[in-house]
Amino acid sequence: MRALVRIIGGLIVLVIVILLGLMLMPMHRTAAVTNLPAGYEPPAGAGERVAIAADCAACHTAPGGKPFAGGRVVETPIGRIYASNITPDRKTGIGNYTLDDFRAALYDGLRRDGVHLYPAMPYPSYRKMTEEDVRALYGYFMNELAPVEASVPETRLAFPFNQRWGIRLWDWASLPPAGFRPYMRSAKLDRGAYLVEALAHCGSCHTPRNGLTFAEKGYESRSADFLTGGVIGAWPAPDLRARDSAAQRWSDEQLAALLASGRNETAGVSGEMALAVEHSLQHLPKSDMEAIVSYLKAIKQDRPIADASAPRSTPAPTAQQLASASPQLGLGARLYLDNCNACHFATGKGAKNVFPNLDGNAVVTAKQPGGLISLILNGDAIPSTSERPERLVMPGFGWRLNDDEVAALATFVRQSWSNAAPAVTTADVAKLRGAVNTTPW
Amino acid sequence: MSHAFLDGYKPLYFSTTEWAFIRAACARLIPSEGEGPGALEARVPVFIDTQMAGDFGKASDWYMLGPHEPGANPLLGFQSPLTPAQIYRQSIALVDEWCTEQKGKAFAELGPDLQDEVLRDLQARKMPLKAELRDFFVLLLQNTKEGYFADPIYGGNYRMAAWKYIGFPGARGAYLEWANDKGAPYPLGPVSISGDRG
Repeated sequence: MRALVRIIGGLIVLVIVILLGLMLMPMHRTAAVTNLPAGYEPPAGAGERVAIAADCAACHTAPGGKPFAGGRVVETPIGRIYASNITPDRKTGIGNYTLDDFRAALYDGLRRDGVHLYPAMPYPSYRKMTEEDVRALYGYFMNELAPVEASVPETRLAFPFNQRWGIRLWDWASLPPAGFRPYMRSAKLDRGAYLVEALAHCGSCHTPRNGLTFAEKGYESRSADFLTGGVIGAWPAPDLRARDSAAQRWSDEQLAALLASGRNETAGVSGEMALAVEHSLQHLPKSDMEAIVSYLKAIKQDRPIADASAPRSTPAPTAQQLASASPQLGLGARLYLDNCNACHFATGKGAKNVFPNLDGNAVVTAKQPGGLISLILNGDAIPSTSERPERLVMPGFGWRLNDDEVAALATFVRQSWSNAAPAVTTADVAKLRGAVNTTPW
Repeated sequence: MSHAFLDGYKPLYFSTTEWAFIRAACARLIPSEGEGPGALEARVPVFIDTQMAGDFGKASDWYMLGPHEPGANPLLGFQSPLTPAQIYRQSIALVDEWCTEQKGKAFAELGPDLQDEVLRDLQARKMPLKAELRDFFVLLLQNTKEGYFADPIYGGNYRMAAWKYIGFPGARGAYLEWANDKGAPYPLGPVSISGDRG
């Protein structure tokens, strides 16, 4: 009996010691992955190019706010996280950061004072950044940007997520090795891999996360799960690797057009991807865009799509049905005629380079119907880009359609033409009505 | 059809006597007896009242600074210094006064034939309305037609009754598949801006 009490007491002490250790021990900071020669200077303009490719602005510039002065709300499954001010202001920004402090934020998700950043900051991807790019980025933020004094609201998540020391366990379990080691068969593909896996952090949305820690299931193409489709908020982030995914079906030119201009012959970017195109992808040098496209095509997987329903073998006669304008049409078809037909047409095909094709559209047929529902409720905009300056706006229909009607309409487009995705329920719609609209208008 | 709604409606702009005039005048311009719905069934008076209380009645986006030449040739367009709402108010008072002097009752109290006579005189400018008010009948007729055919979101064309009557399919705005079928009847009922289906 005494022995048992001692064992239990010992275990309790051990747990307390481990917890205290987790909470109080100084965090290990990853060192530079390359020892650059003393006096190394990044090439002119390199820092800004890295900042653009890494899309720092997407989170650290608030809508209508000063560049990089923070304040954008990032909605996550565990609560609202405020992006910080990363201008070189000494009081409210990162003006006091040394190069090592800066690298620790990028590589280890550590603030200068040792507090853990939430992994909404994509440091698991930025960890792969080369030391040259870390230096260039540091120089850009410290010397090229003007300091902006702007305080950002403190992120306050509910217990247990406010216990930031818990992120240590997460980091320990989830972080890939630091730095990027070329592993593909050409320099061009390795450049594409570096851009996609490290800077552009595409995996943050497009890689599925595990159910336990929400960590991405892989950080590079050698992982079979990498870029096979994820979920961001209610939106599907499509599978990019399956043989019948849009990214693999499109020609190189069409894929490049979507990424660089926001739209191509059949699709337009929506949701968070619009920000990535607007702030980052459209500004990449042509050679980088070609590297990204080559890389994405090279990591194709010979399997059916994971996150969307397979198309019908024989398309439904939807176009003829709609063209009949018959009063006998079901509610979904009637609503399509009343609300959608003017732009997307009875064929569902829309108009090349203007109105997205709904037949086989990844957002329409996704297993996760939240993107489609949000689009119908709130509308969206394809951003203005230098190649396609006209900002194309789809109006929201939430004020015009009740939840039953949105469900009937969404179900109709998910099951028309060659689409064969499961029905949407009124409850699915009710959940998203009134949700924070992350679309940019 | 009953006009219980109109009886219970509290006008935003018109006084009780003005409201009686508007209802009576609209009822003669698009009468209820006939094939289609009348102005009252389509709640046209609600449309006019709403407009008078709103930007149109206040001429909010019209050029209303001088010089005004109310007596100028009508071909030169609207020349009155008064807003449409003021024109309605002053004209209704004058017409009612004239009806009481000439026919013994206010306009709304007269029988349909006498009301038609008064409206005809108004249209033919036989009524002694000053130049500032001479567009009254033009406005009244125009606003009655607008209230009859405009989208129900503006208060008239109740339940898209006027659209259903003439077979207008409403705010759908997409008839590509029908563009080449000249004369073919379009089978589907109308839709309004707010999404109501008829």
